[in-house]
Parts: sequence; structure tokens; C-alpha cells
Amino acid sequence: MDIDGEDVSRRLHVKFVTKLDSPFKVPVNSVAIPSNVTRLGLSSIVNSIIESENPEWKTEPFDFLIDGELIRMSLEEFLLAKGISAERTLEIEYIRAVTPRKEEEPSLHDDWVSAVNGSSPRFILTGCYDGLGRVWSSAGSCSHILEGHSGAISSVALVNSNDAETVTVATASKDRTLRLFKFDPAESVDSTTKVRAYKILRGHKASVQSVSAQKSGNMVCSSSWDCTINLWNTNESTSEGESVSVKKRKGNNQAEESQSEGEAVTSLVGHTQCVSSVVWPEHDVIYSSSWDHSVRRWDVETGKDSLNLFCGKALNTVDVGGESSALIAAGGSDPILRVWDPRKPGTSAPVFQFSSHSSWISACKWHKSSWFHLLSASYDGKIMLWDLRTAVMTKHTHSFPL
Amino acid sequence: MTKRSKGANEDKLIETKSKNVSGKSQKQKKPVEAESLKEEDLLQASGTDSDYDGDSLPGSLNSDDFDSDFSDSEDDGTHEGTEDGDVEFSDDDDVLGSDNNEEHGSDEDSERGEAVEESDSSEDEVPSRNTVGNVPLKWYEDEKHIGYDLTGKKITKKEKQDKLDSFLATIDDSKTWRKIYDEYNDEDVELTKEESKIVQRILKGEAPHADFDPYAPYVEWFKHDDAIHPLSSAPEPKRRFIPSKWEAKKVVKIVRAIRKGWIKFDKPEEEPNVYLLWGDDSTSDQKSKHLTYIPPPKLKLPGHDESYNPSLEYIPTEEEKASYELMFEEDRPKFIPTRFTSLRSIPAYENALKESFERCLDLYLCPRVRKKRINIDPESLKPKLPSRKDLRPYPNSCYLEYKGHTGAVTSISTDSSGEWIASGSTDGSVRMWEVETGRCLKVWQFDEAIMCVAWNPLSRLPVLAVAMGRDLFFLNTELGTDEEQEITKERLHSGNIPEPDASVAAIVTWLPDELYGGIKIRHFKSISSIDWHRKGDYLSTVMASGETRGVVLHQLSKQKTQRLPFKIRGLPVCTLFHPSLSYFFVATRKDVRVYNLLKPGEATKKLETGLREISSMAIHPGGDNLIVGSKEGKMCWFDMDLSSKPYKTLKNHPKDITNVAVHRSYPLFASCSEDSTAYVFHGMVYNDLNQNPLIVPLEILRGHSSKGGVLDCKFHPRQPWLFTAGADSIIKLYCH
Repeated sequence: MDIDGEDVSRRLHVKFVTKLDSPFKVPVNSVAIPSNVTRLGLSSIVNSIIESENPEWKTEPFDFLIDGELIRMSLEEFLLAKGISAERTLEIEYIRAVTPRKEEEPSLHDDWVSAVNGSSPRFILTGCYDGLGRVWSSAGSCSHILEGHSGAISSVALVNSNDAETVTVATASKDRTLRLFKFDPAESVDSTTKVRAYKILRGHKASVQSVSAQKSGNMVCSSSWDCTINLWNTNESTSEGESVSVKKRKGNNQAEESQSEGEAVTSLVGHTQCVSSVVWPEHDVIYSSSWDHSVRRWDVETGKDSLNLFCGKALNTVDVGGESSALIAAGGSDPILRVWDPRKPGTSAPVFQFSSHSSWISACKWHKSSWFHLLSASYDGKIMLWDLRTAVMTKHTHSFPL
Repeated sequence: MTKRSKGANEDKLIETKSKNVSGKSQKQKKPVEAESLKEEDLLQASGTDSDYDGDSLPGSLNSDDFDSDFSDSEDDGTHEGTEDGDVEFSDDDDVLGSDNNEEHGSDEDSERGEAVEESDSSEDEVPSRNTVGNVPLKWYEDEKHIGYDLTGKKITKKEKQDKLDSFLATIDDSKTWRKIYDEYNDEDVELTKEESKIVQRILKGEAPHADFDPYAPYVEWFKHDDAIHPLSSAPEPKRRFIPSKWEAKKVVKIVRAIRKGWIKFDKPEEEPNVYLLWGDDSTSDQKSKHLTYIPPPKLKLPGHDESYNPSLEYIPTEEEKASYELMFEEDRPKFIPTRFTSLRSIPAYENALKESFERCLDLYLCPRVRKKRINIDPESLKPKLPSRKDLRPYPNSCYLEYKGHTGAVTSISTDSSGEWIASGSTDGSVRMWEVETGRCLKVWQFDEAIMCVAWNPLSRLPVLAVAMGRDLFFLNTELGTDEEQEITKERLHSGNIPEPDASVAAIVTWLPDELYGGIKIRHFKSISSIDWHRKGDYLSTVMASGETRGVVLHQLSKQKTQRLPFKIRGLPVCTLFHPSLSYFFVATRKDVRVYNLLKPGEATKKLETGLREISSMAIHPGGDNLIVGSKEGKMCWFDMDLSSKPYKTLKNHPKDITNVAVHRSYPLFASCSEDSTAYVFHGMVYNDLNQNPLIVPLEILRGHSSKGGVLDCKFHPRQPWLFTAGADSIIKLYCH
């Protein structure tokens, strides 16, 4: 009995620290805890410490880091795996755990949803294979329908949301055009209004795969199956020799609307196959991924690619973010999500490879503010949230029926 | 001449004289005298070295004066002494000369005459001042002396002269070139004029002495001719003056032999005396003539149990013996240990006769051939194939499925960009899918089961050719830009179909397609396969039961049909256009024929497949390599530059191969079969004509349900991906 008891209660001296604000803070004292606790145990310990000081404390899940690495096993195993001495007092940092979100009421579409954009806090923008873009002010209630495309919408982007009154969005479609829409998200929350594009961007010779807007909202870029990336102006003015065409809506008695047509400002040529995805994270830098197995960084001023990462697989999606918005995450025709660090000299090998998916990766997105969180969606019906601080396990997965 | 040189002359003279002496019996005395004289001179020379310089004497000595000079040698000392005022010298002279003086004089007198006569003998025997003998001078390097004189006194070394001084001295001295340093006696020797002359003569290659006449007249001491008395008085034998009869006979014999060719003058070539050093003796003919010795099998060494008196534990019990009896004869132990008290009591070996008989029988009946066992590692017989890892990328895992058909998918085709894929099914529907997502974009529904779909290879003409039953449809996929659409619509406009030629009127009719607004071509037999020309204008259709009229070419732009300008032998199965040239491949059931469409008269090439029934055919984009799949599961790779026989025949599938495909840019090819698998191969074709194509099997792609198998496979035009169409109504995309 004695021996067993001793074995179980091997104790570690730990100190809990955090960067969180006051209600989450615990006194910086060394605490002795059993070595076989896991994240759950640590979380309950921290909760009980906080509760002892603050009686109105509501239990909250925490995540724990040792030397910047998330604990994903028992403390003992973690120390053993990392070769950290258990003799000295351990400093364990805790952060608020990312809890699985509750699924809200689904926003039902008539056809496959091909694109979604939730970067605005006020609404969700979706694109659908029926050629309509939809704006959902809240879960399940569609406020606007963006119509005009004759082919399936492949990508949507928020162009300008700073303006409180009207919001500009861009949609890319398989009918080889992009359309720009303006609407006021505040109006007509109850009923659905139909919106027509104020500008049609023609110039691609094949299906447009992806669209992304500059931060300022003055320009959008789009990538297409014709291997090019086109840059477009978004302003409504037609003074720059842009052809104006006033179209009548066929079979509809609504008032005529003026639609200007825009031509591409410039074209970035270099990819040899379908450019599947573009992002425009900085003023004059565009990242693109392509089926020719490469990720490229384009300098908008010169129109040249300044970086060319070769991957070996056809890529479907790219996003830039992470630590100082410099990491490139891309996924494609295999179940591996790769993250590159272009600042790393001398190598073009990915710094991270996440391979828990079981099919093609269709989309990936960095967390807006967190450096460590990365979201990926795959054809296996799962969305996975990755934390760069641990390479052991994914955090949460949501499964959807296919 | 200086005094010094005179001294040297004297020395020389003594030497020459001593040689004369050597011939006589006065060897003993000569060295002493010579030594003494020499010493005098040397001392003189050494002591007065500096004084002599520039000091000239009236008159000169030449070689002729030697004798007179020599004769004065005794008073030389005094003479010189008076000249130089050197006291030391005279002392020395006294000491040395005191013993020898008397003999000296007398000897010299007697020797003098001869010395003049023969002055050219060698100088070797003159004993030097130093008596150490012929020893390395190194031994005296560190000593103060260089040796010992006759009396046993040490001869001290001369003071080493400063290099600079000696050099300066040599500059002033015009005789330097004649001086030689005698290391052995530690003195400078000056060559006399005579000596230098001798040296010159030797250098010229003449006799050293001027007196010697090499061309002296020959003196005949003996005269043979006029000898009155011969040595023998025997009469001259007869044989000396009569020609030999026997010799003549011998000559005749040789002549005859030469004429008849018995004697050959040129030597016969020597056969190289080599033999098989490492060869197997058993293979050589000599050995195989004889019976080889076959040793009897080796017997096992006897153990303890075979002893006549083994330990008790070896002896089987009665029960064991009884159990042996129950065993089969083969299993029964051959020897049962038994105990005997002494060697005497051991009975005779009961089987001796039997065994020797059997051995004889063995030898008699056993085949007199030794079995050759070849020890070859079976692994080494395998061709060395590169690792699959190095041949990446190739399709290996299925991530996407295209579901929607309700019947077996019979045919698939990708568009030139790789964005779309079309499929035809037995349910009568033609579907167009988005490759990236697996979304079905369009469906055309027909009444009949679709046999074939083929996308136009031109990207600007997005037309889909669909064959079902007897009809061939051209469908507008409505892709491409607006201008491209207009061209497409114009092509597929069915308003002005021209009158068909009489030759093809019975075979095909062009009709407008009411259903989807395209063109329909009705054939007289059901279509089995179609193939677009690379320029997207011509399309060939094959009617398997059409026999000689089984293959026709349609031209889309002119909406015309023509028959092949040549006759096809056998039932056509499928056809192919060459990817770059005007060749046309027609596969019949057993072989493939290559025709030139531009020159119909040109001789056709026949590729003999050796297959029982060809099912499909695909050509490498280079145009020199053809892959043929057959219904017995074999696939042939033809290298048409190499031969008309298959370069490789691959037998992989247990069931019929339904289709084969070659990738446009990657070195990949694939076959799909009714066993519901698809095989992917690496097929590298090299530009170097000397290098044969490299074929490596890479992957077996499974996944389709076993019913009906895989009916079609196509590569993605740009990615190393393979589409397979299964009878289970699913299209699968295998990615790398």
C-alpha cells in the first residue's frame, strides 16, 4: 500500500503563470501537484485556486503550456517526452482553452455552398452553386440575395466593410466573370432583398476560382483557370474609359439598373496551371496557390513573383497569417496541410505538416488575431482547428455528413 | 717557368721513373727514395708557397730537361735553399736523406737510362707521401692529420685557407687552371706542360704519348708462303678435289622434297598455348567421353550405439522393439543396438552381401550423368528496377469520387485543361463533372446506353462526341468564352449539311439533333469506339461489325464523312491517330496496322501483338510507343522504332483489360480491367535511341466494387492523376 501510494503521489512543484487579465490570475506560488494529472486535472486545479480567491468564479476550461508547447498528455509523460527535469519548479502557463462552438441553426441553401466569408461581424456571406450569393444577417435568416451570375459562384470576398452604411462584396463565378455588389446590411433584416451587381468584371478566359480584396478595398484580385491572376479596380466611376453598358433585366419588370463593366488593371502571369486561390494580405503583396504545385508571392507594383514555393501537390487553398502574418498555409490534393515560413533562409521545406485529414483539403484559414490557430476544411467532411504549439494532436474537429 | 713548377716536375719525374723501376727488381728501394724526394719538394712547395708567386727563374725547363734536372736532385735542396734562404728545408733534407743517400746515388745511375726509354707506364704504383692506404678520407675528417708518413709520423693538415683568399689567389695566378688539389696528400698539384699535353691527347682520343706511333709499319716475322717444308708430308686426299657424290644425292633429295612441298620454308604459326583456366572441367569434351567417378554416399560415423558393447541406456527395451515391429518399414530404425560380451561373439554382418549387391545395382542402374546444380540467387535474375519512391509522382490513393450515374460508367474523357471530365453510362446519361469538387455540372439524357464519350482535344472547341448504339452525337458543353461559344455553335449548326458522297451514303447520314441542338451522325452499324484527331476536326469511328467499312472518318468543319483510303483486313476493334504525324493505327482482333493517311499507297506496317483479342490501344505522346491491351489480361508495349514485335508484354490482370491510357506529360501509363483494378506503370521513353523504354509497375489501384470491374481509365491531362470508371457507376480519381 505504502509503495503504491508513493508511486501515485509523485509530486511536482509547479508554478502557474498567465498572460491573462486579473479575474484569471492566480497567486504566483509554487504548488505541489501529482505528476500524473492531465490537462483536465490541471484545469480543475487552476479553477479551484481561482475559486478559492474569488467565490463567484465560474469554472472555465484552460489549456496549459510548458515552454510554449501545449500539454496533450499527462504531465509525467510530457516531461519524459520533452526531457524536462522534474526536480526544479515547473512554470506552467495557462491560457483559455478554445471550446467547441455550438452549431447554430443552419442557413439552408438550394444547392452546394461553394464559398463562405465570415470576416464581417455583422453578416455571413456565402456563394452557392445556383449562381446566387447570399448574405445571412444571422443564422438561418437570409437578408440579401446577390444575383446575376450565370454560373456557379466559386468564391466570395468582402471588399469594403469599413463603411457603416454600405458594404461592398465581390463574387467570382464559373461564368468567367466577377461581380461587385453593394448593399446595406442594416436594412431589411426581416425580408430578403435582391441585389444586383453594380460592376461586372470581365476578362478571364476561364472559370474564376478565387477572389480576394485589398485591405483598403480599392482593388480586388482574382485567379482563374486560365492560369492568370487579374487585378481589378472596385470603384464605381466609369471615367477611365471603361465600357458602360446598361442592361435590361430580362423577363423582369424591375427598374433598370446601371451596370458598369470593368477590365482588368493588370494581369499577373506566371502560373502554368489553374490558379486555385489568392489572398491579398498586405497592400502590395498577393499570395497565390496553383495546381502547378506552387505557391507564389507576387509583388503588385512590379507584377513579378518574388517567392515561389514548390510543393509537389496540386494546391487548392492558401492563406497567410500566423506569427507576424508571415507563415503561409496551403492545402491541396492530399490530406496534408502544410505551413511554410518564407523567412527561413535556405530552405523551402514546410515548417509544419498536419496530416490528420483523410482527403483533399479544400480550404484553410488562419485565426484573425491568434498566431497559433489555423483552421482547415477537407473533403472528408471535417473542419479541424490546429494549434501550432502542439504537433501531437488536433484540437477539435467537426464532422459533417457528406 | 716558376720554381714551384719545377719542383712539381721533379715529382712527376720520380713517378715516371718509379714505373720503370717497377719492372725491375728494385721495388723495395724505390719508394723510400721517391718518398724522400717528394717530401723535399713538397716541403719546399708548402713552405714557400707565397714566395714563389711571381718569382720567376731565368730560363725554363721543359720535358727534355727532366733527366738533367733529376740528376741534380741531390743538390736540389741546397740549390733551392740558397735561392730562398729556407733553412728548414735543408734540415729536413738531412734527416730524411741521411739513410738513403748512398743507395740513392747508385740506384739512380742504373735506372736513369731506362727511365728515359719507357716513360709512359702507369703511375699507380708510386707510393704517396701518405701511407694510410686506400681508405676513405672521411675517417680523417675530424683529425688534425691526414695520415702517416713512412716513418709513422702524423702528417698534419694544412691550414685551411680562407675561401676569399684562395679565390683571390686563383685570380692572380695564371696557372690556376692547371692546379689540382690532391685530397689524399693534402696538397695542390700543378700539371706540367707535358702532363697537360697528355691530357689533351687523351681528350682527343689519341695515344697519350706523342712518341707512340699507332701506324708503325708492320714487321712480318713469319713468312708462310715460301715455307719450304710443310708441317705434314701426307699427300692431298682425293676428297679434297672431287665433288662429293653423297652431297649431290642429299641435295637432290632436298630439292625433290622442296618441289613436292614436303619442306616448307615459312614457319608454321605457333598455336597459342592457352587453356581454360577457370573453365568447368566437366563441360569439356574430353571428360564427358569417360564415365565420371561417382563416389558412394558418405556413411555416417558410428556413434556409441553402434558399439559392440554399448551402454545399457542405448539398448532398446522389449517394448520398444515390439513397437518397432509395428512401424512402417521406412520408419523403422535401421540399426538396433545390441550387446555382445566380446568381439568374438559378434556374428557376421547379415546384410553384407545384400548391400554390396545393392551398391552394384546402384552403380549399374544409376544414370551416368551428374546432376548439375546451378547455384544462382533467384533475386539476381530479377531486373534491377528503380525504387517506386524515385518514380513519384504517380496516382496511388483515391480521394474523390464522382457519384451520380445509375448504371455502369462505360467511358470517361477529360477536357484539355483538366477542369472538366465527361462520362457516359449505360443508364443513357452523359454527365459533365467538375474535377476539383466532384460536382456534376451537366447531364444529357439519352435513350440508349452510352458507348463512348470523347472530348474534343481543342480547348477552344468545347465539343463532346458521344457514341451510343448506331448514333454519334456532338454535344455543345457551353464552356469557353463567348467567342468560342459562337464558333462552336456555328460548327454544330445543322442547317446546311451537305449532300453526302455516294460512297459513304450507305454507311452514315448526318442529321440534326433535335434533343440538344447539335449534330447526330447515324451509322449503319453500332459504334464501338471513337477517336479525335489532335487538331480537333477529324473524328474516327469504329463499327466492330462493319467489316471492311468498319472505320470511317468524320470531318466536323465540313460536316462530311469519308471512308479510309485503304482496305482494312480483319475486324477493326479500335483506331488511333498518331499524336504528331499523319499515321493512323487500326487495331484488329490480332494485330495493329499502321497506315499513312496522306500516302494511302505507302506500305503499311503491321505490329504483331501475339495476343488473342485486342481490346484497347493507347499511344505515347512521343508517337513511337504504343500500348495495346488485350482481353486475356495481357498488355503489350510496342517500341515501333525497335521492331514490330512487342518490346514488353505485361501479364498482370487475371481478367480482360478494358482500357489502357498513357499520360500526356508524365511518364505514366495505366491499364484497367474487369477484375476491378487498375494498374499504374512507369513508362519512361528516352530521347536517346540506344536506350530502351523503362517500364516499372508502380501501383495497383483498387477500390471499385468487384462486380463488373473497371471499364475505363483516363489520366488527368496535367496532373499525375488517374480517373477510373467503374461498372459500379462510380468514377474515382486517384491522386498522387
